[in-house]
Amino acid sequence: MIKLKNVKLSFSGKKVIDNISFEVKPGEKIILSGKSGSGKSTVFNMILGFVQPDSGEILFDAEKLDEKHVWEVRKKISYIDQESSLGIGNTLDYLMFISELKTNAQKEFSSNRINELIEYFELENEVLNKNLEELSGGERQRIAIIISILLERKVFLLDEVTSAIDVSLKKKVAEYYLDKDDWTCLIISHDPIWLESSNTKIFEMETCTWAQ
Amino acid sequence: MGTIDIAFSSLFFSFFLLGIPILLSLKYGFGIIKPLLFAVFRMCIQLILIGIFLKYLFHWNNSLINVCWIIVMVTVAVFSVLKDSALKIKKVFFPVFISFLITIFSVVVYLNIMVIKLTNIFDAKYLIILSGMLLGSSLRGSIIGISHFYKSIKKDSKRFLYVLSLGADRNEAILPYLKESVQLALKPSIATMATIGIVALPGMMTGVILGGASPLVAIKYQIMIMVSVVACASSTVILSILMTLKICFNKYGILQMEVFTDFGKNNGKKRNT
Repeated sequence: MIKLKNVKLSFSGKKVIDNISFEVKPGEKIILSGKSGSGKSTVFNMILGFVQPDSGEILFDAEKLDEKHVWEVRKKISYIDQESSLGIGNTLDYLMFISELKTNAQKEFSSNRINELIEYFELENEVLNKNLEELSGGERQRIAIIISILLERKVFLLDEVTSAIDVSLKKKVAEYYLDKDDWTCLIISHDPIWLESSNTKIFEMETCTWAQ
Repeated sequence: MGTIDIAFSSLFFSFFLLGIPILLSLKYGFGIIKPLLFAVFRMCIQLILIGIFLKYLFHWNNSLINVCWIIVMVTVAVFSVLKDSALKIKKVFFPVFISFLITIFSVVVYLNIMVIKLTNIFDAKYLIILSGMLLGSSLRGSIIGISHFYKSIKKDSKRFLYVLSLGADRNEAILPYLKESVQLALKPSIATMATIGIVALPGMMTGVILGGASPLVAIKYQIMIMVSVVACASSTVILSILMTLKICFNKYGILQMEVFTDFGKNNGKKRNT
């Protein structure tokens, strides 16, 4: 599904990614592990074509990620970044903005579905009328999670998506992603809850090996 | 009824008015005397030169020379304003220049044909003066808009990338920023329009009235100019942005930090690790 082959990336003379190779098969749930600065988020940025490797290649569905293919790849991935960088302004308006993107035309952003997810992730209904910049970190994270689900995609890149969420809810979120057999997830998280699941495989960034 | 000429010796008296800011500056230490005198000096030289130059332009009234002069005006104007913008001149000059040239030229030619109904649409008096007015009034707003567009995407880079990750194509991703930038670019001209005549008598009207025309003629020219300024400002800001997109974004839809003037000052580009 996703394959990195001998990927290297330096930046201002400093090695950020040093010869990394790994493969993610459909349905796998993989945790990228490593110290901060080990290039975990950069791997996500490379898969999404935000940064290009200096050498090596990235394959998505067995096709090399290049300037043409990348636009299709982005349509297949649900990504949540470390800061849940949603837009600004009214939350519901932002959801509508997303649903109006051409690629999402067929997706169901019905108010029923939205309310169902809001309830499931224990948010108040009023968040929809609030401005995104007024939401707390945890609320914003959950909105980002809800968006990632509404997109109805099968591949997820999740960067610290439970960091600001209450302990009791972290498990619910993690399970939501991990329990879906046909969802392929790449996860970056310091929350042990993700590691506890028997479903996940751990890839050590520094040694470039799979943990046992 | 012509305009009363001012003798050069009498013009000298107007300089005494500079005594007001100079004395105030001396007393309160504003520190503006040097830049003020320098600016006055520059202004005088530039205006004297342009005065002489325009005299000849009007005398020759050669269409080709007139058009060339417009090209020179646009070049200098775009250059001087881009100098203060956040973008590197050598990267964006050409597309911005073309956007301004196309817009100003087509609007002025349109006005000369459809509104003023000139027999010679390249008549120096109209072509050059109207272009100058439109350029002067729309340039500032447009550059504010263009700068804002790129600066806000840079500032918002994570949000912008997130929208790309949602599957937006480049045009979808830039649309919110484009809207904001056009609004910002038009703000000055819309604000001026709403208060014009009450708060300030616009330069064009002052000129036309002093030139001996009736105030009613003057306002017609002014109305034409105000409307055209908004047209120019919106067209130049949108064209400039659209024409610089290819230079400022790579094929992955990522804004290139190299186009900003401050690139390289803080150890180059920033990346997530």
